[in-house]
Amino acid sequence: MFGKNSSEYNLRAVHPAWASFCLVRMALGMLAGAILALTVMQAASPAPAWALPTPLDTVNQVINTSLPVLRDKKTPLPQRRRQLRDLLEQHFDFADMARIALGYHWRELNATQRSQFTALFTAFIENAYLSKIQDYSGQDVAVLGQNSEGEGFSRVRSQIIQPGKQPIKVDYLLRELDGDWKIYDVTVDAISIIANYRNQFNRVINDQGFDKLMGDMRAKQQQLQSSMGS
Amino acid sequence: MAVSQPTIRMRSKQSMKKLAGLSMAVVLATMMVVSSALAQPAMGADQATPPKLPGERALPGEGAGPYADPLEPFNSAMFNFNIDVDQWVVTPVAKGYSYVMPEQARQSVNNFFKNIGVIPRFANNLFQLHVYNAADELGRFGINSTLGVAGLFDVADSWFGMKPHNDDFGLTLGHYGIYSGAYVMLPFLGPSTVRDTVGLVVDGCMNPMSWLLPWYVTVPADVGSAAINAVNYRSLHPNQFEEADRYAVDLYGAVQDAYMQTRTAELKRLAQ
Repeated sequence: MFGKNSSEYNLRAVHPAWASFCLVRMALGMLAGAILALTVMQAASPAPAWALPTPLDTVNQVINTSLPVLRDKKTPLPQRRRQLRDLLEQHFDFADMARIALGYHWRELNATQRSQFTALFTAFIENAYLSKIQDYSGQDVAVLGQNSEGEGFSRVRSQIIQPGKQPIKVDYLLRELDGDWKIYDVTVDAISIIANYRNQFNRVINDQGFDKLMGDMRAKQQQLQSSMGS
Repeated sequence: MAVSQPTIRMRSKQSMKKLAGLSMAVVLATMMVVSSALAQPAMGADQATPPKLPGERALPGEGAGPYADPLEPFNSAMFNFNIDVDQWVVTPVAKGYSYVMPEQARQSVNNFFKNIGVIPRFANNLFQLHVYNAADELGRFGINSTLGVAGLFDVADSWFGMKPHNDDFGLTLGHYGIYSGAYVMLPFLGPSTVRDTVGLVVDGCMNPMSWLLPWYVTVPADVGSAAINAVNYRSLHPNQFEEADRYAVDLYGAVQDAYMQTRTAELKRLAQ
Protein backbone atom coordinates (compact mmCIF):
# COMPACT_ATOMS: atom_id res chain seq x y z
CA MET A 1 0.00 0.00 0.00
CA PHE A 2 3.04 2.28 0.44
CA GLY A 3 6.03 3.14 -1.73
CA LYS A 4 6.55 2.37 -5.40
CA ASN A 5 5.00 -1.13 -5.36
CA SER A 6 1.64 0.08 -4.11
CA SER A 7 -0.07 -0.43 -7.52
CA GLU A 8 1.10 -4.05 -7.72
CA TYR A 9 -0.18 -4.58 -4.21
CA ASN A 10 -3.62 -3.17 -4.98
CA LEU A 11 -4.04 -5.54 -7.90
CA ARG A 12 -3.61 -8.57 -5.70
CA ALA A 13 -5.50 -7.27 -2.70
CA VAL A 14 -8.99 -8.46 -1.95
CA HIS A 15 -11.70 -6.27 -0.53
CA PRO A 16 -10.59 -4.95 2.89
CA ALA A 17 -13.81 -6.06 4.57
CA TRP A 18 -13.33 -9.62 3.32
CA ALA A 19 -9.68 -9.60 4.37
CA SER A 20 -10.48 -8.50 7.87
CA PHE A 21 -13.26 -11.10 8.11
CA CYS A 22 -10.74 -13.78 7.10
CA LEU A 23 -8.23 -12.57 9.66
CA VAL A 24 -10.79 -12.51 12.46
CA ARG A 25 -12.00 -16.00 11.56
CA MET A 26 -8.43 -17.32 11.50
CA ALA A 27 -7.71 -15.71 14.86
CA LEU A 28 -10.87 -17.13 16.39
CA GLY A 29 -10.10 -20.58 15.04
CA MET A 30 -6.57 -20.49 16.40
CA LEU A 31 -7.79 -19.28 19.78
CA ALA A 32 -10.38 -22.07 19.97
CA GLY A 33 -7.74 -24.62 19.02
CA ALA A 34 -5.32 -23.26 21.58
CA ILE A 35 -7.91 -23.32 24.35
CA LEU A 36 -8.83 -26.89 23.49
CA ALA A 37 -5.19 -27.97 23.41
CA LEU A 38 -4.38 -26.27 26.70
CA THR A 39 -7.42 -27.75 28.40
CA VAL A 40 -6.29 -31.21 27.36
CA MET A 41 -2.74 -30.49 28.53
CA GLN A 42 -3.95 -29.12 31.84
CA ALA A 43 -6.10 -32.17 32.42
CA ALA A 44 -3.10 -34.37 31.70
CA SER A 45 -0.57 -32.61 33.97
CA PRO A 46 -1.15 -30.98 37.36
CA ALA A 47 0.75 -27.77 36.55
CA PRO A 48 -0.12 -25.63 33.54
CA ALA A 49 2.33 -26.72 30.89
CA TRP A 50 2.88 -23.27 29.43
CA ALA A 51 4.07 -21.70 32.69
CA LEU A 52 7.56 -22.30 34.11
CA PRO A 53 7.30 -23.81 37.60
CA THR A 54 8.21 -21.35 40.34
CA PRO A 55 10.43 -22.12 43.36
CA LEU A 56 7.24 -22.16 45.41
CA ASP A 57 5.83 -24.89 43.12
CA THR A 58 8.85 -27.11 43.72
CA VAL A 59 8.73 -26.73 47.51
CA ASN A 60 4.96 -27.13 47.63
CA GLN A 61 5.23 -30.28 45.59
CA VAL A 62 7.91 -31.70 47.89
CA ILE A 63 5.85 -30.90 50.99
CA ASN A 64 2.45 -31.89 49.61
CA THR A 65 3.81 -35.19 48.31
CA SER A 66 5.88 -36.10 51.35
CA LEU A 67 3.42 -35.26 54.16
CA PRO A 68 0.84 -37.92 53.14
CA VAL A 69 3.66 -40.49 52.86
CA LEU A 70 4.98 -39.50 56.31
CA ARG A 71 1.47 -39.68 57.81
CA ASP A 72 0.66 -43.03 56.21
CA LYS A 73 1.81 -45.48 58.89
CA LYS A 74 0.05 -48.46 57.30
CA THR A 75 2.17 -48.84 54.18
CA PRO A 76 5.39 -50.78 54.90
CA LEU A 77 8.35 -48.54 55.77
CA PRO A 78 10.63 -49.65 52.88
CA GLN A 79 7.94 -48.76 50.38
CA ARG A 80 7.41 -45.31 51.91
CA ARG A 81 11.16 -44.77 51.91
CA ARG A 82 11.27 -45.65 48.22
CA GLN A 83 8.53 -43.12 47.44
CA LEU A 84 10.36 -40.39 49.34
CA ARG A 85 13.71 -41.26 47.79
CA ASP A 86 12.18 -40.79 44.34
CA LEU A 87 10.82 -37.43 45.44
CA LEU A 88 14.24 -36.31 46.71
CA GLU A 89 15.96 -37.43 43.51
CA GLN A 90 13.46 -35.44 41.49
CA HIS A 91 13.69 -32.10 43.30
CA PHE A 92 17.10 -31.98 45.00
CA ASP A 93 20.25 -31.04 43.14
CA PHE A 94 22.63 -33.51 44.83
CA ALA A 95 25.47 -32.92 42.37
CA ASP A 96 25.68 -29.23 43.30
CA MET A 97 25.14 -30.00 46.98
CA ALA A 98 28.14 -32.33 46.98
CA ARG A 99 30.29 -29.77 45.14
CA ILE A 100 29.60 -26.86 47.49
CA ALA A 101 29.81 -29.13 50.54
CA LEU A 102 33.45 -29.80 49.65
CA GLY A 103 34.31 -26.10 49.27
CA TYR A 104 37.72 -25.38 47.77
CA HIS A 105 38.80 -29.02 48.07
CA TRP A 106 36.51 -29.90 45.15
CA ARG A 107 39.08 -28.42 42.75
CA GLU A 108 41.82 -30.72 43.99
CA LEU A 109 39.87 -33.90 43.21
CA ASN A 110 40.04 -35.86 39.97
CA ALA A 111 36.95 -37.00 38.09
CA THR A 112 36.82 -40.44 39.78
CA GLN A 113 37.11 -38.96 43.28
CA ARG A 114 34.42 -36.40 42.45
CA SER A 115 31.91 -38.98 41.24
CA GLN A 116 32.70 -41.29 44.18
CA PHE A 117 32.20 -38.46 46.64
CA THR A 118 28.99 -37.26 44.98
CA ALA A 119 27.48 -40.77 45.08
CA LEU A 120 28.45 -41.33 48.72
CA PHE A 121 27.28 -37.86 49.79
CA THR A 122 23.92 -38.34 48.03
CA ALA A 123 23.35 -41.71 49.72
CA PHE A 124 24.42 -40.25 53.08
CA ILE A 125 22.07 -37.25 52.92
CA GLU A 126 19.16 -39.36 51.65
CA ASN A 127 19.61 -41.96 54.39
CA ALA A 128 20.06 -39.32 57.09
CA TYR A 129 16.55 -38.16 56.20
CA LEU A 130 14.93 -41.51 55.36
CA SER A 131 16.17 -43.25 58.51
CA LYS A 132 14.13 -40.87 60.67
CA ILE A 133 10.77 -40.80 58.91
CA GLN A 134 9.12 -43.18 61.39
CA ASP A 135 9.65 -40.53 64.11
CA TYR A 136 7.34 -38.07 62.36
CA SER A 137 4.48 -37.26 64.74
CA GLY A 138 1.98 -35.27 62.71
CA GLN A 139 3.57 -31.78 62.65
CA ASP A 140 2.19 -29.43 60.05
CA VAL A 141 4.24 -27.37 57.64
CA ALA A 142 3.37 -23.81 56.64
CA VAL A 143 4.99 -22.40 53.50
CA LEU A 144 5.40 -18.66 54.09
CA GLY A 145 6.59 -17.37 50.71
CA GLN A 146 9.54 -16.97 48.37
CA ASN A 147 12.27 -14.35 48.02
CA SER A 148 14.50 -13.90 45.02
CA GLU A 149 18.19 -14.24 45.85
CA GLY A 150 19.38 -12.84 42.55
CA GLU A 151 18.87 -14.03 38.98
CA GLY A 152 18.23 -17.79 38.98
CA PHE A 153 18.38 -18.15 42.78
CA SER A 154 15.53 -18.21 45.28
CA ARG A 155 14.70 -18.86 48.93
CA VAL A 156 11.39 -20.38 50.02
CA ARG A 157 10.57 -19.86 53.71
CA SER A 158 8.57 -22.38 55.71
CA GLN A 159 7.84 -23.35 59.29
CA ILE A 160 7.30 -26.67 61.03
CA ILE A 161 4.49 -26.07 63.48
CA GLN A 162 4.84 -27.84 66.84
CA PRO A 163 1.96 -27.38 69.25
CA GLY A 164 3.06 -25.65 72.47
CA LYS A 165 6.57 -24.93 71.19
CA GLN A 166 8.25 -22.34 69.00
CA PRO A 167 7.97 -23.29 65.32
CA ILE A 168 11.13 -24.51 63.56
CA LYS A 169 12.11 -22.23 60.67
CA VAL A 170 13.05 -24.17 57.55
CA ASP A 171 14.23 -22.36 54.42
CA TYR A 172 14.76 -24.05 51.06
CA LEU A 173 17.43 -22.58 48.79
CA LEU A 174 16.73 -23.21 45.13
CA ARG A 175 18.42 -22.58 41.79
CA GLU A 176 17.04 -22.59 38.30
CA LEU A 177 18.31 -25.59 36.38
CA ASP A 178 17.12 -26.60 32.90
CA GLY A 179 13.79 -24.79 33.18
CA ASP A 180 13.05 -26.20 36.63
CA TRP A 181 13.81 -25.14 40.21
CA LYS A 182 16.00 -27.52 42.23
CA ILE A 183 16.76 -27.42 45.95
CA TYR A 184 20.50 -27.16 46.65
CA ASP A 185 20.48 -26.37 50.39
CA VAL A 186 18.13 -26.37 53.38
CA THR A 187 18.52 -24.16 56.44
CA VAL A 188 17.05 -25.20 59.79
CA ASP A 189 16.72 -22.32 62.29
CA ALA A 190 19.11 -20.31 60.10
CA ILE A 191 21.77 -23.07 60.05
CA SER A 192 22.66 -24.08 56.50
CA ILE A 193 23.02 -27.86 56.35
CA ILE A 194 25.48 -27.77 53.47
CA ALA A 195 27.64 -25.08 55.10
CA ASN A 196 27.66 -27.17 58.28
CA TYR A 197 28.89 -30.21 56.37
CA ARG A 198 31.42 -28.07 54.51
CA ASN A 199 33.07 -27.10 57.81
CA GLN A 200 33.15 -30.75 58.92
CA PHE A 201 34.45 -32.09 55.58
CA ASN A 202 37.10 -29.41 55.21
CA ARG A 203 38.36 -29.99 58.75
CA VAL A 204 38.71 -33.73 58.15
CA ILE A 205 40.41 -33.24 54.76
CA ASN A 206 42.82 -30.62 56.11
CA ASP A 207 43.77 -32.71 59.14
CA GLN A 208 43.67 -36.24 57.77
CA GLY A 209 43.11 -36.16 54.02
CA PHE A 210 40.36 -36.96 51.54
CA ASP A 211 40.59 -40.75 51.95
CA LYS A 212 39.96 -40.45 55.68
CA LEU A 213 36.85 -38.36 54.96
CA MET A 214 35.57 -41.00 52.54
CA GLY A 215 36.22 -43.72 55.14
CA ASP A 216 34.44 -41.78 57.91
CA MET A 217 31.47 -41.04 55.64
CA ARG A 218 31.22 -44.64 54.52
CA ALA A 219 31.16 -45.79 58.15
CA LYS A 220 28.47 -43.24 59.01
CA GLN A 221 26.47 -44.16 55.93
CA GLN A 222 26.60 -47.87 56.83
CA GLN A 223 25.48 -47.02 60.37
CA LEU A 224 22.45 -45.16 58.98
CA GLN A 225 21.78 -47.93 56.48
CA SER A 226 21.78 -50.64 59.15
CA SER A 227 19.54 -48.55 61.42
CA MET A 228 16.97 -48.69 58.63
CA GLY A 229 17.16 -52.48 58.64
CA SER A 230 17.50 -52.82 54.88
CA MET B 1 27.00 -27.82 76.80
CA ALA B 2 23.85 -26.29 77.99
CA VAL B 3 24.93 -23.78 80.62
CA SER B 4 24.57 -20.17 79.63
CA GLN B 5 25.14 -18.48 82.97
CA PRO B 6 28.65 -17.11 83.43
CA THR B 7 30.19 -17.94 86.76
CA ILE B 8 32.61 -15.05 87.06
CA ARG B 9 31.49 -12.62 89.72
CA MET B 10 32.71 -9.58 91.58
CA ARG B 11 34.17 -10.27 94.96
CA SER B 12 32.64 -7.64 97.20
CA LYS B 13 31.03 -4.26 97.32
CA GLN B 14 34.38 -2.55 98.03
CA SER B 15 36.23 -3.99 95.09
CA MET B 16 33.33 -3.46 92.71
CA LYS B 17 34.76 -0.33 91.15
CA LYS B 18 38.16 -1.91 90.74
CA LEU B 19 36.69 -4.93 88.99
CA ALA B 20 34.43 -2.84 86.82
CA GLY B 21 37.53 -0.99 85.65
CA LEU B 22 39.33 -4.28 85.13
CA SER B 23 36.52 -5.72 83.05
CA MET B 24 36.48 -2.62 80.87
CA ALA B 25 40.23 -3.02 80.42
CA VAL B 26 39.66 -6.64 79.40
CA VAL B 27 37.04 -5.52 76.91
CA LEU B 28 39.29 -2.88 75.38
CA ALA B 29 42.33 -5.15 75.28
CA THR B 30 40.34 -7.89 73.61
CA MET B 31 38.85 -5.49 71.09
CA MET B 32 42.38 -4.44 70.16
CA VAL B 33 43.65 -8.02 69.90
CA VAL B 34 40.60 -9.06 67.95
CA SER B 35 40.65 -6.18 65.52
CA SER B 36 44.39 -6.45 64.82
CA ALA B 37 44.86 -10.21 64.71
CA LEU B 38 41.61 -11.06 63.02
CA ALA B 39 41.02 -8.18 60.71
CA GLN B 40 39.82 -10.62 58.11
CA PRO B 41 36.63 -12.66 58.50
CA ALA B 42 36.93 -16.13 59.96
CA MET B 43 35.97 -17.95 56.77
CA GLY B 44 38.86 -19.47 54.86
CA ALA B 45 40.03 -17.41 51.94
CA ASP B 46 38.52 -18.22 48.59
CA GLN B 47 41.16 -19.24 46.13
CA ALA B 48 41.00 -18.57 42.41
CA THR B 49 37.54 -19.46 41.19
CA PRO B 50 37.29 -22.16 38.52
CA PRO B 51 36.42 -21.10 34.98
CA LYS B 52 32.70 -20.68 34.43
CA LEU B 53 30.55 -20.87 31.36
CA PRO B 54 29.38 -17.45 30.25
CA GLY B 55 26.43 -16.38 32.39
CA GLU B 56 26.95 -19.18 34.90
CA ARG B 57 27.01 -18.01 38.50
CA ALA B 58 28.89 -19.73 41.28
CA LEU B 59 26.70 -21.27 43.95
CA PRO B 60 26.86 -19.61 47.36
CA GLY B 61 29.62 -21.18 49.41
CA GLU B 62 31.34 -22.75 46.42
CA GLY B 63 35.09 -22.64 46.96
CA ALA B 64 34.78 -21.74 50.65
CA GLY B 65 36.80 -23.37 53.41
CA PRO B 66 36.51 -24.15 57.11
CA TYR B 67 36.58 -21.55 59.90
CA ALA B 68 39.95 -20.33 61.00
CA ASP B 69 40.57 -22.04 64.32
CA PRO B 70 43.88 -20.94 65.89
CA LEU B 71 42.90 -22.28 69.33
CA GLU B 72 42.00 -25.72 67.93
CA PRO B 73 44.21 -27.83 70.30
CA PHE B 74 42.71 -26.14 73.38
CA ASN B 75 39.21 -26.23 71.92
CA SER B 76 39.47 -29.91 71.05
CA ALA B 77 40.52 -30.78 74.58
CA MET B 78 37.71 -28.69 76.06
CA PHE B 79 35.21 -30.18 73.62
CA ASN B 80 36.12 -33.71 74.74
CA PHE B 81 36.03 -32.59 78.37
CA ASN B 82 32.55 -31.10 77.92
CA ILE B 83 31.29 -34.22 76.19
CA ASP B 84 32.63 -36.34 79.07
CA VAL B 85 31.00 -34.06 81.66
CA ASP B 86 27.78 -34.26 79.71
CA GLN B 87 27.93 -38.01 79.28
CA TRP B 88 29.04 -39.01 82.79
CA VAL B 89 27.57 -36.27 84.99
CA VAL B 90 24.90 -34.07 83.43
CA THR B 91 22.99 -36.70 81.44
CA PRO B 92 22.70 -39.29 84.27
CA VAL B 93 21.57 -36.58 86.69
CA ALA B 94 19.17 -35.18 84.10
CA LYS B 95 17.70 -38.65 83.55
CA GLY B 96 16.97 -39.16 87.25
CA TYR B 97 15.70 -35.61 87.52
CA SER B 98 13.30 -35.97 84.58
CA TYR B 99 12.09 -39.24 86.15
CA VAL B 100 10.88 -37.40 89.26
CA MET B 101 9.93 -34.05 87.64
CA PRO B 102 7.12 -33.91 85.08
CA GLU B 103 7.97 -32.16 81.82
CA GLN B 104 5.64 -29.25 82.53
CA ALA B 105 7.50 -28.53 85.77
CA ARG B 106 10.85 -28.69 84.00
CA GLN B 107 9.57 -26.28 81.38
CA SER B 108 8.59 -23.94 84.24
CA VAL B 109 12.07 -24.16 85.76
CA ASN B 110 13.44 -23.22 82.35
CA ASN B 111 11.03 -20.26 82.19
CA PHE B 112 12.11 -19.19 85.69
CA PHE B 113 15.78 -19.04 84.70
CA LYS B 114 14.96 -17.15 81.51
CA ASN B 115 12.85 -14.66 83.45
CA ILE B 116 15.55 -13.79 86.00
CA GLY B 117 18.03 -13.22 83.17
CA VAL B 118 16.13 -10.15 82.03
CA ILE B 119 18.73 -7.51 82.88
CA PRO B 120 21.35 -8.37 80.20
CA ARG B 121 18.62 -8.79 77.57
CA PHE B 122 17.04 -5.46 78.47
CA ALA B 123 20.37 -3.62 78.70
CA ASN B 124 21.79 -4.98 75.45
CA ASN B 125 18.64 -4.27 73.48
CA LEU B 126 18.95 -0.72 74.83
CA PHE B 127 22.69 -0.56 73.97
CA GLN B 128 21.76 -1.38 70.37
CA LEU B 129 18.94 1.21 70.43
CA HIS B 130 16.27 -1.49 70.01
CA VAL B 131 14.05 0.54 72.32
CA TYR B 132 10.84 -1.37 71.62
CA ASN B 133 12.55 -4.72 72.19
CA ALA B 134 13.96 -3.43 75.48
CA ALA B 135 10.50 -2.22 76.50
CA ASP B 136 9.08 -5.64 75.55
CA GLU B 137 11.63 -7.37 77.75
CA LEU B 138 10.76 -5.11 80.68
CA GLY B 139 7.04 -5.70 80.10
CA ARG B 140 7.58 -9.45 79.83
CA PHE B 141 9.48 -9.42 83.13
CA GLY B 142 6.70 -7.48 84.84
CA ILE B 143 3.94 -9.74 83.52
CA ASN B 144 5.73 -13.06 84.00
CA SER B 145 6.98 -12.18 87.50
CA THR B 146 3.43 -11.41 88.66
CA LEU B 147 0.76 -13.11 86.53
CA GLY B 148 3.25 -15.81 85.55
CA VAL B 149 3.96 -16.73 89.21
CA ALA B 150 7.57 -15.57 89.68
CA GLY B 151 8.40 -16.38 86.07
CA LEU B 152 7.31 -20.03 86.11
CA PHE B 153 4.90 -19.44 83.23
CA ASP B 154 5.56 -17.40 80.12
CA VAL B 155 2.11 -15.82 80.03
CA ALA B 156 3.50 -12.66 78.41
CA ASP B 157 3.88 -14.76 75.24
CA SER B 158 0.90 -17.11 75.54
CA TRP B 159 -1.64 -14.49 76.68
CA PHE B 160 -0.28 -11.22 75.32
CA GLY B 161 1.83 -12.40 72.40
CA MET B 162 4.93 -10.60 73.69
CA LYS B 163 7.86 -12.56 72.27
CA PRO B 164 11.28 -12.67 73.95
CA HIS B 165 14.11 -10.69 72.34
CA ASN B 166 17.29 -12.55 73.14
CA ASP B 167 20.31 -10.34 73.32
CA ASP B 168 23.70 -10.28 75.01
CA PHE B 169 26.84 -8.19 75.15
CA GLY B 170 28.61 -10.35 72.57
CA LEU B 171 25.89 -9.34 70.11
CA THR B 172 26.19 -5.70 71.17
CA LEU B 173 29.91 -5.80 70.35
CA GLY B 174 29.11 -7.49 67.04
CA HIS B 175 26.41 -4.95 66.34
CA TYR B 176 29.00 -2.19 66.54
CA GLY B 177 31.35 -3.93 64.13
CA ILE B 178 33.65 -5.94 66.41
CA TYR B 179 34.70 -9.18 64.69
CA SER B 180 33.95 -12.44 66.47
CA GLY B 181 37.63 -13.27 66.88
CA ALA B 182 38.82 -16.83 67.32
CA TYR B 183 36.43 -19.65 68.12
CA VAL B 184 36.73 -20.76 71.77
CA MET B 185 35.30 -23.86 73.41
CA LEU B 186 34.72 -22.90 77.04
CA PRO B 187 34.77 -25.58 79.72
CA PHE B 188 31.22 -26.23 81.03
CA LEU B 189 29.81 -23.27 79.08
CA GLY B 190 30.19 -24.64 75.56
CA PRO B 191 31.01 -22.99 72.22
CA SER B 192 31.88 -19.30 72.12
CA THR B 193 34.26 -16.83 70.52
CA VAL B 194 36.72 -14.34 72.01
CA ARG B 195 34.14 -11.59 71.55
CA ASP B 196 31.27 -13.60 73.00
CA THR B 197 33.38 -14.68 76.01
CA VAL B 198 33.97 -11.00 76.78
CA GLY B 199 30.22 -10.59 76.40
CA LEU B 200 29.57 -13.39 78.89
CA VAL B 201 31.78 -11.68 81.48
CA VAL B 202 30.14 -8.28 80.97
CA ASP B 203 26.62 -9.77 81.09
CA GLY B 204 27.58 -11.66 84.26
CA CYS B 205 28.57 -8.38 85.91
CA MET B 206 25.03 -7.11 85.34
CA ASN B 207 23.62 -9.48 87.95
CA PRO B 208 22.50 -7.18 90.80
CA MET B 209 23.05 -9.95 93.34
CA SER B 210 26.78 -9.72 92.74
CA TRP B 211 26.72 -6.06 93.82
CA LEU B 212 24.67 -6.62 96.97
CA LEU B 213 26.00 -9.85 98.42
CA PRO B 214 29.53 -10.98 99.33
CA TRP B 215 31.34 -13.31 96.92
CA TYR B 216 31.16 -16.38 99.18
CA VAL B 217 27.38 -16.21 98.79
CA THR B 218 27.11 -15.21 95.12
CA VAL B 219 29.74 -17.54 93.63
CA PRO B 220 28.32 -20.80 95.08
CA ALA B 221 24.79 -19.55 94.36
CA ASP B 222 25.70 -18.85 90.72
CA VAL B 223 27.50 -22.15 90.25
CA GLY B 224 24.56 -23.94 91.84
CA SER B 225 21.94 -22.20 89.72
CA ALA B 226 24.01 -22.73 86.58
CA ALA B 227 24.26 -26.44 87.38
CA ILE B 228 20.50 -26.70 87.99
CA ASN B 229 19.85 -24.78 84.78
CA ALA B 230 22.18 -27.12 82.86
CA VAL B 231 20.59 -30.29 84.20
CA ASN B 232 17.12 -28.88 83.62
CA TYR B 233 17.94 -27.82 80.05
CA ARG B 234 19.47 -31.21 79.29
CA SER B 235 16.35 -32.97 80.61
CA LEU B 236 14.27 -30.96 78.14
CA HIS B 237 16.64 -31.82 75.25
CA PRO B 238 17.46 -35.45 76.04
CA ASN B 239 18.71 -36.52 72.62
CA GLN B 240 20.51 -33.41 71.50
CA PHE B 241 24.02 -34.92 71.24
CA GLU B 242 22.84 -38.30 70.02
CA GLU B 243 20.90 -36.56 67.25
CA ALA B 244 23.80 -34.33 66.26
CA ASP B 245 26.27 -37.22 66.33
CA ARG B 246 23.99 -39.37 64.19
CA TYR B 247 24.30 -37.00 61.25
CA ALA B 248 27.75 -35.57 61.88
CA VAL B 249 30.90 -36.85 60.23
CA ASP B 250 32.98 -34.58 62.51
CA LEU B 251 31.01 -33.54 65.60
CA TYR B 252 33.48 -30.81 66.62
CA GLY B 253 33.10 -29.15 63.22
CA ALA B 254 29.32 -29.53 63.29
CA VAL B 255 29.03 -27.82 66.70
CA GLN B 256 31.51 -25.11 65.70
CA ASP B 257 29.66 -24.27 62.50
CA ALA B 258 26.23 -24.41 64.17
CA TYR B 259 27.42 -21.89 66.77
CA MET B 260 29.01 -19.55 64.22
CA GLN B 261 25.97 -19.66 61.89
CA THR B 262 23.56 -19.09 64.78
CA ARG B 263 25.47 -16.03 65.99
CA THR B 264 25.72 -14.63 62.45
CA ALA B 265 21.96 -15.09 62.02
CA GLU B 266 21.27 -13.37 65.37
CA LEU B 267 23.39 -10.40 64.34
CA LYS B 268 21.57 -10.23 61.03
CA ARG B 269 18.22 -10.34 62.82
CA LEU B 270 19.29 -7.50 65.13
CA ALA B 271 20.48 -5.41 62.20
CA GLN B 272 17.01 -5.40 60.64
